[in-house]
Amino acid sequence: MQGTVLVIDDSAMMRKVVLRVLKMADVEFEAALEAGDGNEAIALLRTNKVALIMCDINMPGMSGLELLKQIKEEKLAAGVPIVMVTTESSEPQVRQAILAGARGYIRKPFTVDHIKNNVKPLLAA
Amino acid sequence: MPEANTVLKPFNVEEFLSPATLERADKTVAEIFGMMLGLEIEVVETSDLGPDTPESDERTAVVGFSGAMRGSCHIRMTAQGARSVASAMLGGAPIDEGDDSINDALGELCNMLAGGWKNDTPGLSSECALSPPTVISGRNYRVRMIKPSVKASRMYRFDIHALQLTLCCEDIESRTDE
Repeated sequence: MQGTVLVIDDSAMMRKVVLRVLKMADVEFEAALEAGDGNEAIALLRTNKVALIMCDINMPGMSGLELLKQIKEEKLAAGVPIVMVTTESSEPQVRQAILAGARGYIRKPFTVDHIKNNVKPLLAA
Repeated sequence: MPEANTVLKPFNVEEFLSPATLERADKTVAEIFGMMLGLEIEVVETSDLGPDTPESDERTAVVGFSGAMRGSCHIRMTAQGARSVASAMLGGAPIDEGDDSINDALGELCNMLAGGWKNDTPGLSSECALSPPTVISGRNYRVRMIKPSVKASRMYRFDIHALQLTLCCEDIESRTDE
């Protein structure tokens, strides 16, 4: 697959897990970028073009939802699918994320099939 | 996440102490170990525990609950057990004893367990928020709740390791969120 994936999570372990499961789901990229918080993600998006963003919601400092709003305001990822990866799965949370610009929502724990079903179609679109 | 100044229906302590609390915990634990770690896990009695001993180096991860329920979710296991969790999370990759990713994995595991349990509990899914995880390591320590709380605890075994899951719920009266 062409392009770069950006994985945003305050847990380095979870970033590795997300990248591993993407690979297992045959969602492979030319390059992968990792950000440990919202500010790091913004900085990376200002200098890199990405094809997919996988983003945690519960992060210290800037939350995933606040980050989505900033990405939208600054038009840092126009047309790029953003998928939230989180333990939070209540309806209001999902709605907030979609309103803020997310295209997909994956609840932890997740499987390879969840990634195939929820991420691959976004890349094909 | 609960909004500020909204009236929350506090989670009932009697409800917390019902068998459903640990049944939901069992389901969440099995789901997360199976899906994220590829490991089987079973409920055990304390007396059935295998080689892990109380004198071992231990790690405890804690995630707090706020909103309709105030309390915490703790998971406790030996350092070797935590290392196995980290390795399983990375698909079986070897992990060095002092690797930072061990605490990171334990914190994430606790976060998923706390989140899975509260998402499955009526009245808590959208009315209760989680704190970022904290990990404690050492020997012969105790984790105590400062405020009066009730607890539900369960022991599990995965591979040769024991895991203790404890859910704590503060005993609170009807209130508005601060």
